Amino acid sequence: MPKSSPALDMTPMVDLAFLLVTFFMLTAQFKPEEVPVDTPSSQSTMEVPKDDILFITIDTAGRVTWDFKQGKTKQLGVRDAVLASMSTKYNVTFTEEQKEKFTKLSGIAVPIENLAGFLDQQGGDQRKAYAEKYKGVPYDSLNNQLKEWLVATRVEYYAVANAQPTVVLKADGNVDYSVVNDVIKIFQTDEVGINRFKMVTDLEKSGL
Amino acid sequence: MASVDTGGDSGGGKKGKKRAKKSSTHIDMTPMVDLAFLLLTFFILTTTMSKPTTMQLTFPVDPDDTSKVTKVNNAVTLILTKDDEILYYLDELKAETVFQKADYKSIRKVIQERNMPAIQKINELTKQFNKQVGGDKEKFKQLEPQYKQMVDSIKGLKESVFCIIKPDEHAKYRNMIDIVDEMDICGVGKYAVSDKFAEAELEYLKNYLGGK
Repeated sequence: MPKSSPALDMTPMVDLAFLLVTFFMLTAQFKPEEVPVDTPSSQSTMEVPKDDILFITIDTAGRVTWDFKQGKTKQLGVRDAVLASMSTKYNVTFTEEQKEKFTKLSGIAVPIENLAGFLDQQGGDQRKAYAEKYKGVPYDSLNNQLKEWLVATRVEYYAVANAQPTVVLKADGNVDYSVVNDVIKIFQTDEVGINRFKMVTDLEKSGL
Repeated sequence: MASVDTGGDSGGGKKGKKRAKKSSTHIDMTPMVDLAFLLLTFFILTTTMSKPTTMQLTFPVDPDDTSKVTKVNNAVTLILTKDDEILYYLDELKAETVFQKADYKSIRKVIQERNMPAIQKINELTKQFNKQVGGDKEKFKQLEPQYKQMVDSIKGLKESVFCIIKPDEHAKYRNMIDIVDEMDICGVGKYAVSDKFAEAELEYLKNYLGGK
C-alpha cells in the first residue's frame, strides 16, 4: 500500500519532545536531606518502614535531630500535639504560622528556645546553617530536651493509636560510639522506655 | 526524518547524473516514535529507588549482667577500640588471659571457630529445610516460622558462643554495627553490648593504645 506523504512534518515535534525529556532527566535532583548522614553498611535487607516512625538522626558532628514521620496518623495531628506539649513544658509559644510549618517540616535539630527562629527560616540551606549554630537537640543531663521530645511523642502517639511508635535511629558511621551510647541510654530510661529500635544501614554488597 | 530520501541508492548506478532519480519509497517513522515513548513510559513507571535498609536491634534491658559470664562455658569478649581494631579474649578474665588482636575481617574466623557446633547444626537444619521446601513457595511460608524458631533454639544452646561486646571510648558507631552484623553472619544469638570494663581490661587497653 503506497503511503502518502504526510501533510504535516512531525519531525521537529519529536525532536523537541526528546530534547525536553533528556533535559529534565539530567537536571532533576532529589530533595536534599535536611541532615546529611553517612550510615554504615550491614547485611540486613529489612527495609526502613515509612509510616508513623519516631526518627532520631545523629550526624557526623554528633548533633541529634528529632523527627516524627506521620503516615497514617497525619490527620490525627500527632506532631501538633507534641509541639503543644513541649511548648507548655518549656514555656515557649509559637505563632500559627510557625505551628503550621512545624507540621510540614521533617527534622528538628535545635533546642526548643531556638525553635521559633528555626521555623522562621525560609529554606533548607538556611535551616541547616541555623541548626549548625545551635548544635542539635540537647541531651545532656542538665538539659535533656531529647528525653522530653521522646516522652511527648510516645504519649501523644499512644493517645491516638493505642500502640507504641516504631523507633528508628540513623547515625553516621564515623560518630564516636559513646555519643550513640548516650542516646541509647536515654532510650532505655524508665520514662522513655524504648528497648527495641531499628538502626538504618546501607546494604552491604554480599561476599566481602 | 519523517520521510527518507532513498533516491541516492537507486540513482547510484547512473554516473554523471547530478540529480539522482527520486524514488517514491519513504519510511514512516511513526511506529519507532511510538515504541520510544512506550519504552520510556514503561521504565519511568517501573524503576524503584533502592531504599536504605535497617537492622533490628534489641538491647537487653539490663546490659550489666556480665556476671552471667562465669556461668557460661563458651564466651568471647570483644573490645572494640581505635582505628577499627578489636582486642579479644576467650572465656573469663584471669591473670593469665592473653589479649589477642583482630580486625573486622579476621574476627569472623575467630567467632566461627568458637561457634562451630552451632554453625554446623544450623547448616544441617538449613539443608533439611531447603530439601523439604524444594522451591515450593507455599511450603516455604508454612515451614519458615518453625525453621526460625529452631535456629533460635540452636543459638541458645549452652555450647553456642556468648559474645560480650565492649566498645571503648575510641570506637566508632560503624564498628558496633559491623560487629553486630558479624553476630548475625556467624549465627551468634547470645550477645550483649556493655560499657563496663574490668580493671585488667583498662590496664591492657592503656598500655596497648599508649604504645601506638
